[in-house]
Amino acid sequence: MPGALRLLAKAGLARLSADQVGRQLLVDRPQVRVILVRPADVPAYVDHGAADLGIVGKDILWETPGAHYELADLRFGECRLVLAVPLASGLNGPDTWPPQMRVATKYPRTAGEWFEARGQSVEVVRLHGSVELAPQVGLVDGIVDLTASGRTLKENQLRITATLGVSTARLIANQASLKTRTDAVQAAVGRLREAASA
Amino acid sequence: MIPRLGGVPGFRDLLPLEAEILREAQESVLAEMRRWGYRQVITPMVEAIDVLELGIEAGQRRRLFKFMDGRGEVIALVGERTVPVARLVAGKLRGAPLPMRLCYSGPVLSTDEGRFQQRRETYQVGAELIGAPGTVADAEVIALAARCLEASGVRRYQVDVGHAEFFHGIMDAVKLPDEVKADVRRALAARDFVALESLLDKTPLRSAEHELLLRFPALRGGAEILKAAGGLVRNRRSERALAELAQVQELLVAHGLGAVVSLDLGAIRDFDYYTGITFEAYGPELGRPVAQGGRYDRLLERFGRPAPATGFVVQLDLVCEMLTHASRPPTLPRIDAAVAWSGPGLRTALRLGSTLRMFGMRAVVDTEPRDAAQAKAWWQAVGAVNLIHCRSKSAADWTVRGRRTRQLPPEQVAGRLAGELV
Repeated sequence: MPGALRLLAKAGLARLSADQVGRQLLVDRPQVRVILVRPADVPAYVDHGAADLGIVGKDILWETPGAHYELADLRFGECRLVLAVPLASGLNGPDTWPPQMRVATKYPRTAGEWFEARGQSVEVVRLHGSVELAPQVGLVDGIVDLTASGRTLKENQLRITATLGVSTARLIANQASLKTRTDAVQAAVGRLREAASA
Repeated sequence: MIPRLGGVPGFRDLLPLEAEILREAQESVLAEMRRWGYRQVITPMVEAIDVLELGIEAGQRRRLFKFMDGRGEVIALVGERTVPVARLVAGKLRGAPLPMRLCYSGPVLSTDEGRFQQRRETYQVGAELIGAPGTVADAEVIALAARCLEASGVRRYQVDVGHAEFFHGIMDAVKLPDEVKADVRRALAARDFVALESLLDKTPLRSAEHELLLRFPALRGGAEILKAAGGLVRNRRSERALAELAQVQELLVAHGLGAVVSLDLGAIRDFDYYTGITFEAYGPELGRPVAQGGRYDRLLERFGRPAPATGFVVQLDLVCEMLTHASRPPTLPRIDAAVAWSGPGLRTALRLGSTLRMFGMRAVVDTEPRDAAQAKAWWQAVGAVNLIHCRSKSAADWTVRGRRTRQLPPEQVAGRLAGELV
């Protein structure tokens, strides 16, 4: 969120304070209306055309592919989606995986496809928070979760054994907006791109 | 056990107003197609999977509802109707001369609930012009699609015209290893320009074609875009595509559609299926195309009757959504008369009902006798404009919404109501 706000300000599209964001979900500026929603909801707003453009992490896009255009890597909010197991676990690479893996994650689709692509049979347990707790109480063999510094994993006696992907913030656009409001949308895209690469 | 009153998830019941809007839209679109000389065909709800496979890709195949028929053959519920029409043209219509103009309508099914509305059954009307190569045919089909939208009541829309060969020419010319090209196609199909950029970044050779690929979503505009692109491409396929686009645009101006047509060189479509001009129509505030189509010259040969072809479908569900959200949304047509009766008035009521319907009015005759107060309540429930309460062979109470009740002989009531129509 702070990254997105900084970018919007830098691109000269909307200057919003964190305090304002806490109070309002819709902020109108002369050329643009900013809609503040949970990251996982961004693709829904854009795919349905309620928003022309969206700023969202690649991790969300892996999990909810849609009909939008992914236009630019905005290069902030970098983190990795990793497979982590307890420090004492013997699971290292595919050769050491059990016939049926159990993993907990907030990314069931991405995790399921990743294991499937490696010919590994997997049972994905979908959790909504504190995923790192699950292996400690014996619920699963490991977790697939997002990490920036790896500190939370370490604090929970977990170590990374594989990286599923690196996620950064992306700029996405509704397919029809690009066609029906080309000039306005392309102008905003241009300014955001420039601000992201500066 | 409580029966599941909502029906099967992903399948929708259309209530009277929705059903009326959909039926009206479907009829108006088909009527417009008939005005252009297209003949309607009705193809079955099911098709052998071997037939469908000739025209659809693996992803579409996966989304079909499939089952075995009694003979052990795999049958699928159709997910589109261009392939069944191609089967007809090569089969039962093989003696009919080309070019052939055909249209059709009906629901199509998908096991996938879709990204937008969780609908597994949607309604389409489509038209195919088979056996006509060239830009005049391309423009006819695009103009027809536009006029169909207008006929259905859509007032604001735009049509983006592209060309599959423009992309193929670029992919031929761009210097990349084959496996990278495959990844480029995948990235474009997923509309993932971040992946595309990183793929192209890895190649040391940069050409104008690289730049065009990167600018794909922005290659949209009027005739000027053709000139700009023409200065960048150096391959025959793309150049020919640009020439055809220029012709189609001129023809659409002659069709009277210059104001709604744009060119979109970066349109991303199923490039393995389309072989020439493609197009998509968009309405305002609707996140996806309401009609789409294009030229597919390779399909008919797979059925043994090689022929060029072009066509399109109108997504009726989306048309209805646009109509419903218009400033004056459609309403259910009114019921003109509620005919109530008591005692010996039944015969009079039945006769009066017949007379009113003969004049083209919508009339409901009650199924049980009611006194005056009950009749009024029933009238309200029916929602009709007039209440005619028949009490005997010769006496009726006539009430118009918002006015006092009058006593008149039934034939005079019919006469006055019919007179209103004249």
